[in-house]
Amino acid sequence: MMLRPLLLAALLAASISLQAAPPIDREALNKPLPGLSADETERFQRGRSLFRQSWVISPAKDSEVDGLGPLYNRLACISCHAKNGRGGAPEKPGERMESMLVRLSVPGRNAHGGPLPHPAYGDQLNEEGIPGVPGEGRAHLHWHQRQVHLSDGRKVMLRFPTVSFSELAYGKLGGALVSLRVSPHVAGSGLLDAVDGRTLEALAAEKKPDGVRGTVNRIKDAKTGQTLAGRFGLKANMPNLRRQIAGAFVGDMGITSPIFPAQNCTPAQKACATAINGGSPELTPKQLDDVEFYLGNLAPPPRRQTDEPTVRQGESLFASLGCATCHRPSMVTGDYPPNPRLSRQTFAAYSDLLLHDMGPQLADGRPDHLASGRQWRTAPLWGLGILATINENTGLLHDGRARTAEEAILWHGGEARTARQRYVRASKEQRNALLAFLDSL
Amino acid sequence: MSQHSPYKLSRRRFMLAGASLALLASKPALAAPSPVSVVTSYPDEFVSRIQAAFEKAHPEYRMQTIWRMPNDALDYLKQPGHGGADVYWSASPRTFARLADDGIWQKIPVDRSKLPRHIGKTALGDEAGYYAASEVAGFGFAVSPATLKARQIPLPGDWDDLADPRLFGLIAMPVPAQVGFAPPIVEIVLQALGWQRGWGLWSEIAANASFVRRGSTFVTDEIATGRCAIGISIDFFVNSAIANGAPIQFIYPKHTGLNPAHIAVTRNAPHPNGAATFVDFILSVAGQRQLAHPDIRRLPVRPDAYTGLPAGTFNPFAIAQAGGLQFDSDAARPRLTTSAAIFQQMLVEPHDEIIALWQRLRSAEAAGKAAGEIRQLLGTPPIDEAAANDPQLQRQIGPRLEGDGERHLAAPELAWQATCRANREKAAHLLSEIGA
Repeated sequence: MMLRPLLLAALLAASISLQAAPPIDREALNKPLPGLSADETERFQRGRSLFRQSWVISPAKDSEVDGLGPLYNRLACISCHAKNGRGGAPEKPGERMESMLVRLSVPGRNAHGGPLPHPAYGDQLNEEGIPGVPGEGRAHLHWHQRQVHLSDGRKVMLRFPTVSFSELAYGKLGGALVSLRVSPHVAGSGLLDAVDGRTLEALAAEKKPDGVRGTVNRIKDAKTGQTLAGRFGLKANMPNLRRQIAGAFVGDMGITSPIFPAQNCTPAQKACATAINGGSPELTPKQLDDVEFYLGNLAPPPRRQTDEPTVRQGESLFASLGCATCHRPSMVTGDYPPNPRLSRQTFAAYSDLLLHDMGPQLADGRPDHLASGRQWRTAPLWGLGILATINENTGLLHDGRARTAEEAILWHGGEARTARQRYVRASKEQRNALLAFLDSL
Repeated sequence: MSQHSPYKLSRRRFMLAGASLALLASKPALAAPSPVSVVTSYPDEFVSRIQAAFEKAHPEYRMQTIWRMPNDALDYLKQPGHGGADVYWSASPRTFARLADDGIWQKIPVDRSKLPRHIGKTALGDEAGYYAASEVAGFGFAVSPATLKARQIPLPGDWDDLADPRLFGLIAMPVPAQVGFAPPIVEIVLQALGWQRGWGLWSEIAANASFVRRGSTFVTDEIATGRCAIGISIDFFVNSAIANGAPIQFIYPKHTGLNPAHIAVTRNAPHPNGAATFVDFILSVAGQRQLAHPDIRRLPVRPDAYTGLPAGTFNPFAIAQAGGLQFDSDAARPRLTTSAAIFQQMLVEPHDEIIALWQRLRSAEAAGKAAGEIRQLLGTPPIDEAAANDPQLQRQIGPRLEGDGERHLAAPELAWQATCRANREKAAHLLSEIGA
């Protein structure tokens, strides 16, 4: 009879979590900036809860978090930004777009200079609808292969997607302009927000080598009429973090906010227009404040292995090959009254937040304010080396086509063509060093 | 696009993009999967993984998620047509039991003959076969070995270790009446030690604890940051944090219990075949293996799903076979709201006073003063066990489900406030009498 208690004790002791810590902290993108006060920490946690919250269809007892839809893509912010990380693309047609979306428009501009929404589907395909409201349809990715050769003869197989649609509930798409978007990670957002618009203008005005230009996207604020420098979104079509958050809430989850108070229904979507909402607006100003505070105070991704010789060599090559012309290793924030701890900070997002022509192969053909159909905002590279550990399905570039940093480099064209060619011509050791550096970000 | 567009040079490419889109759109459409509508309160990182795995295994179905906290799911599923829901899948035993009483479920439409019906004293579903356990989670301690070692405090092995005065201010505990998973924690101790001794221990533990309220910090945050050394929690929060890199450990105490989550199919499920397929997937080895993912870390309800999991994985079937897991969650269920409410009035609301009184009591005992009566007063609940088991009283306290917010106190709770206050005042008086 003594055996069983002993056995029980032994089993319980063995069950003390012995799991080895993972080599990379999978919560690395979920850390607050250092130095938050107790009140600020509480606010950060409130914002975190909202960012993790699955939103509820109205009417509901959970009246603080109801109002999902009527049309939407996913239930929660973390559905697309799982663990605050980056998303990826489906592997084959029929697979759900878990962390990417399809922007839609028709040729022309709206009253504010932005894309002209599709008359029946709006500016984003919302695959889901609440009960009684048909989801808009399904997008399917079809992958195609393309081989490129490096100077040492090594072949790299690249893939690129085309998209098709099924179950379209509101008629044909016609000649819609379509752009695929994989969700980015959100760490360090506050620092990007704190960069002064004049800094971006100055960066754009700088003379750059290799035919690199770089322009600022400018967004007119509908309420104030002010023109602001864009910095969020893959085409820098959002001027600040608050607007970016509110845009994602309404576009991805159908949650209205003080900034976007109208439901995302087009005139063709009758059931959508008459569905019960979760309040006006559904995301209250305080909730928006809390989410903004949370994202604005997320620490940037940590650098790793900075002292390793290969990484240091790669860092030097990053500059000499021309990557750093756009993927700037250093930026300085301006005066930032909303969060003084972010004022005049030097940080390394590895982006200039400017628009660059990336060539025809990456072009989506969908202009967005001043961004042409060939232009994309320089993707911040911070966190690049940890993204795949945090989320299994991570794809690089706007549509997730690049499975590795090397594939992403090889897709660069347009203003980045010279830098890409230098990479192709580099020795294997040099390429490995560059990739080791990218992996350390 | 106007001819004055700055994008004029790119126009040709836009047209090509449009043409390519039209071509693809005109391809034969993929057959639309049949929907399966699932009401759940699980976090999205869990739901999304199950959704992806289910749709990969069964591309003929598409899982539609309707997210509702249990308190809200109850009314939603009772609507005519169940609001279109086929399946309810959630960690709220009380909701399943209540909806079974209301006749909302049909018999589980899958073969469960090879699945165990119990782990220890935890039933894996209802006797009548209307709902089945889909996973279980255990209660225990998140610990920071480094923080404890720095204070030369051993790792806790059971609940009474948490009464160690050296742990003053170092325990994080969820408020049972506010945090959804927490009410069974109170009952685990009461079942293990008995009513009087159990409440006495809770009083001592509360004196060492900081309470974590709904929607505030995570217990794991408190431990990982070193603000506390031990956090009372349910295992998956902690094991997931560990798997993702948090420098903490999880310890299952000698007296622990399991909280089963369940799955059921609505009586008039609009998509019965899809519902059966979803339930079958959740209970299958493939579905159960999803539970081991670092972002989920829940415990499978079939022994064969533990094969191949890393050494050290808590296996409740093995623990039960060795005599552990004697907590009877079904027996505790009717009283969960009542014991959480007693905890609230006895220990949470007057927490500052409780801390101060225990500090004085501990000083007196350290000085060798007899303080048995004071200890008794601080550890005595406002009602005895028979009263707490009275169904009429339980009805007065009201049915509380995960997600219920603040509410007005019922008359018995107001009376408990007064009783507890009187006990504290008497304890304070006695402490003064002995110079403490």
